[in-house]
Amino acid sequence: MPQLRDSGTRALHATEPVPSAEMDGFCRIFGVETEYGVAVTGAEKPVDAGQVAMTMFQPIVSRSRSTNTYLTNGSRLYLDVGSHPEYATAEARDPREALAQDLAGEQVMRGLALKAQTKLRESYGAHATIHVFKNNVDSAGHAFGCHENYLVRRFVPLEAVEHQLLPFLITRQLYTGAGRMTPDGFQITQRADFLDEAVSSATTRSRPMVNTRDEPHADPDSFRRLHVIIGDSNRSQWSTWMKLAVTHLVLCVIEEAFRRGEPSGFEDWAFVDPAAANRAVSRFLDAPDAVLPLASGESVSALALQRRYFRAVESFVADHREAMDAAFAAGVPATGLSEKTVETTGEGLSGMTAGAGLASDYSAGSLTTVILGEWDRALRALEQGDYDALADRVDWAAKRRVFEALRRRRPEVTFAQLEQLELDYHDIANGRLYGSLTARSQMRRLLTADETERAIHEAPQDTRAALRGRFVEAALASGAQFSADWTHLTVTAPERREAVLLDPFEAAPTPEFSQLMESLGR
Amino acid sequence: MPQQFEQPQSQSQETHEDEALAQSATQAADQSQDQSDVLDSILDDIESTLETNAEEYVNSFVQKGGE
Repeated sequence: MPQLRDSGTRALHATEPVPSAEMDGFCRIFGVETEYGVAVTGAEKPVDAGQVAMTMFQPIVSRSRSTNTYLTNGSRLYLDVGSHPEYATAEARDPREALAQDLAGEQVMRGLALKAQTKLRESYGAHATIHVFKNNVDSAGHAFGCHENYLVRRFVPLEAVEHQLLPFLITRQLYTGAGRMTPDGFQITQRADFLDEAVSSATTRSRPMVNTRDEPHADPDSFRRLHVIIGDSNRSQWSTWMKLAVTHLVLCVIEEAFRRGEPSGFEDWAFVDPAAANRAVSRFLDAPDAVLPLASGESVSALALQRRYFRAVESFVADHREAMDAAFAAGVPATGLSEKTVETTGEGLSGMTAGAGLASDYSAGSLTTVILGEWDRALRALEQGDYDALADRVDWAAKRRVFEALRRRRPEVTFAQLEQLELDYHDIANGRLYGSLTARSQMRRLLTADETERAIHEAPQDTRAALRGRFVEAALASGAQFSADWTHLTVTAPERREAVLLDPFEAAPTPEFSQLMESLGR
Repeated sequence: MPQQFEQPQSQSQETHEDEALAQSATQAADQSQDQSDVLDSILDDIESTLETNAEEYVNSFVQKGGE
């Protein structure tokens, strides 16, 4: 990661103590980092995928003199080790905003890929096709990630995350897993077989489920950043939204327990062997009722454990609904994204008519209720073994349904063909399957194409990202050389100027920021 | 508000839910033909994908590094 500074270090903290106004209550910052895989088919001569990724980033390099940059929507776009294009969403206060930013990332990657493809075809023939996979495993078994970030209050100790949150994260994959065709059968997650350590400070050396490298990108006395590695990359908008939303609710319970010095109720739910539990959850379809040993001595199925989390959160929400809803409404978005409606298309579990959606609850400010309702219904469908009922919102269920239909039509279909089809589902550049499912209303969309389009250019307006977005736009317009990271904005030439933005919840310009913008002619 | 997103906690809501589910089961029977038509269309959409050399396609995707 060239030119990136480690934010939230002690040195920075020593000079810039910023007390946060958001320590009380349930406000959160959400972020999603997605690594994409690149492949080429149909070329007339061998072509190196790394080369193709570099070609994709050529427009970025000529703009920013680096393969690592920030966009006007406040998000980060870069080329990671191993030629993985990567996109990290700008700070969002709300899972829906994070979803919009993540979808914007898909569109940005798609644009870069199609441009590179045109160029590639000049030398490699008219059929050369670039595939950009939003998935987590390649054909050789290299795993890569989709990492979620949650700003968590510092008073929650790491041990609590490991013991109380990890069992939730492992079992949540029942409705957020992306699914994968393996030689051993269809699994509901992509990466369970590649993650082995529960908590670790590194990600590339070993494969932990939760990363503890402490870079809060915020006041380190107030917050830590929880870096969740165990999630799959989702095509399903519902799943991306849901995994952020439900994890947030569980974190609220844990935070409140430590704030009050009371038990959360999750203390005895840790798995004896998290990696084994994770692999078992991934094989849910083989043995839905398989029980997993807990450290407490009890054994419980993955689904039953999810139901326990649901009940605990449900009763917590009953006492804290107003404060939890207020946390989502705390920011005052100034863009069109401010209309906090989540529209869905397609049929719901109980015969909901097409077009109706989460809108009314959300706009009435009861997002917490909406999340609980969706969570309950997903668990109920699983409890009833009605997996097709989830096929319009859960990636693994959508894949499974198509695979089964294909096997009925073409009993001779090969394993390689199913593997190919599954990769195609994740191809955001030239894939057909996912697009077909959404076009035929078999997959829910929570955001309109217009909303996604807007998120490509506009940052969330109720976080620090709004300032970063304005800065990047002004720097590009003025032709100034600039660099940035999550907490710093720097003009490097002609005269070096810098603004530090340590509070991710703060969208109002600081005097320092205003001076920086003045130097750019704003 | 679409009942889809109500919380099924109280007894009355639970009953309401069950009725909705029963109703949805009847609808589901009516819709199963539609559903298989839709699935057929989706399979038609992806047919051309399956005509390419699957092994070559899959093996073309080898990535190093990450995370």
